[in-house]
Amino acid sequence: MQDISRRKFLGLMGSAAVLAGLGVAGCGGSGSSSDSGSADAGAGDSGSSSLSGTIVCSGATSFQALVEDAANKFMDANPDVSISVTGGGSGQGLSDVKDGKAQIGRSDVFAEAKLEAADVEKLVDNQVAVVGMGPIVNSNVDVDDLSTEQLKGIFTGEITDWSEVGGTAGPIQVINRKPGSGTRATFEAAVLQGATVPDSWKPVAEEDSSGTVVEKVQQTEGSISYLAFSYYDDSKFKALSVDGVAPTAENVESGDFKIWAYEHCYTPADADEVTKAFIDYMLSDEVQGELVEKDGFIPVSGMKVQKDADGNISNK
Amino acid sequence: MAKTKEEYKDKKMMPKGQLESVGLGLTGACVAVVAIVVVALIFMVAQQGLTTFFADGIGFGSFITGQNWIPSDGRFGALPLIVGSFSVTLLSTLFTLPIALGSAIFVVEIQPGFGRKIFQPLVELLVGIPSVVYGLIGLTVVNAAMRSIFGAAAGTGAGILSGAIVLAVMILPTVTTLSIDALAAVPNAYREGSYALGCTRWQTVWHVVLKSAMPSLMTAVIMGMTRAFGETLAVQMVIGGVEKSMPAGLLDPAATLTTALTSGLSNATTGSVEYHALWSLGLILLAMSLFFILIIHLIGSKGAAKHD
Repeated sequence: MQDISRRKFLGLMGSAAVLAGLGVAGCGGSGSSSDSGSADAGAGDSGSSSLSGTIVCSGATSFQALVEDAANKFMDANPDVSISVTGGGSGQGLSDVKDGKAQIGRSDVFAEAKLEAADVEKLVDNQVAVVGMGPIVNSNVDVDDLSTEQLKGIFTGEITDWSEVGGTAGPIQVINRKPGSGTRATFEAAVLQGATVPDSWKPVAEEDSSGTVVEKVQQTEGSISYLAFSYYDDSKFKALSVDGVAPTAENVESGDFKIWAYEHCYTPADADEVTKAFIDYMLSDEVQGELVEKDGFIPVSGMKVQKDADGNISNK
Repeated sequence: MAKTKEEYKDKKMMPKGQLESVGLGLTGACVAVVAIVVVALIFMVAQQGLTTFFADGIGFGSFITGQNWIPSDGRFGALPLIVGSFSVTLLSTLFTLPIALGSAIFVVEIQPGFGRKIFQPLVELLVGIPSVVYGLIGLTVVNAAMRSIFGAAAGTGAGILSGAIVLAVMILPTVTTLSIDALAAVPNAYREGSYALGCTRWQTVWHVVLKSAMPSLMTAVIMGMTRAFGETLAVQMVIGGVEKSMPAGLLDPAATLTTALTSGLSNATTGSVEYHALWSLGLILLAMSLFFILIIHLIGSKGAAKHD
């Protein structure tokens, strides 16, 4: 009897091992399909005048929808072109384009922040949109404006009660994004201004996605977090103004609202014809004048200020 | 391709010698594939995971005992993650064990009719529910319950306790099913002998059935723990995901080895120290599950010897 149940356990172990094996095979599979994609694209640009080929575009999820919309329009106009837009995060996008697994790597942050200088030189930075971000709070919080100093205090754990910033007394529940998230990097660069977060302090949650942030802020009394403008929804939470400046596209363009970042599409320096054509299309009026705003982003062309990889802002 | 004596004795097999070797080849190939997958997997995880210690210059000791996991600052202390993993695993086992054991006793010893026909299939149904469903339920029900019970102290409701509760529900069917098997495997003669000595039903269950089923019950518990230890998605949705420092209490948001690995991977670039450190977490996970499996084998062989 004991033997039978032992065999059963071994069987269970075996199926677990097979499942693990399948998982590994799955990962390998996705990698190799991107590889074959680049091979196709290489074959596609051999001399013919009409565009054909395959583009793999992986990376940041924050503006994946924008690139997907543009890709669908581009594929409608060029039936021989196939563009597959996948997620994975900024780190993945930069890794993929660096390693040649993707023709375009999307990132919320400058490649300088994640890659070695030697690798950055081999890539071309195409800034396809600007995204504004701002602090948001639970709808019950009776504060409408915070100064950058106050935000810095809240996100380093120095200010822990709403009464310290002019609201009704109650603990401030800080909900962060994961370290490495582009949204967090942008927010912290603008708000913390070099201040370090003490080891002893920690937020009540660190979320993997903006979608969960929306849900958690909506549900948690006294919570504060930050989101890109494209996620703003007055019925679920309250967006704060910073230093008296409202979080609007106009204020970002004029440079009055300081929390914003570029959405980057990195391509290799020796990108093939079809990839270049798609990037040109992303930067054309058709996308910049219409899709970008429709999806909640800000066209780069409208910006009166610019930012470099070190975060320095200057007038254009 | 040496044939055994039995095969030569069986006259019918002789003309099918060719077929025999084809069968051997096919099944052998299956075994080879499984073996290659296992060996390649261990080799790859070890190779990438050990890079952290040998090429990137992070000490193994400081990796295991460091109290801050902040990859952006180059600080790789995996202790908060290890503590997170073990605390949700042990807590969930603690929640699950009495319930699983109680229902197993009910099914095997007290009401086999209802238990076998209705309860057991019901529990086995639970095994197949995907973890994302448990995670969603945890996110909406468990986290909300934590907020309403503990108020502001619970933060968003996400924390070690929420994670342990969701995991407890997840591993309950596994532990229950295996416990039922374990109790049912105790020979009836043991029970009859016990009754013949004048023992009550409770005495029989406690002193005879549970005692002799102990090795298999231990295996059931460890199988549950293995699942809890390796579970990612459901835990990730309810634990809060704070990796930077040590959790200070059960309501504190935390992270486990698996959740840190999955959420870190989307932001790490290949070849970076952070990327290697994530593989090192994978290596720790692999080592732990090998350790669990080893225990199961040890208990299994010990239990088999006892019954013989």
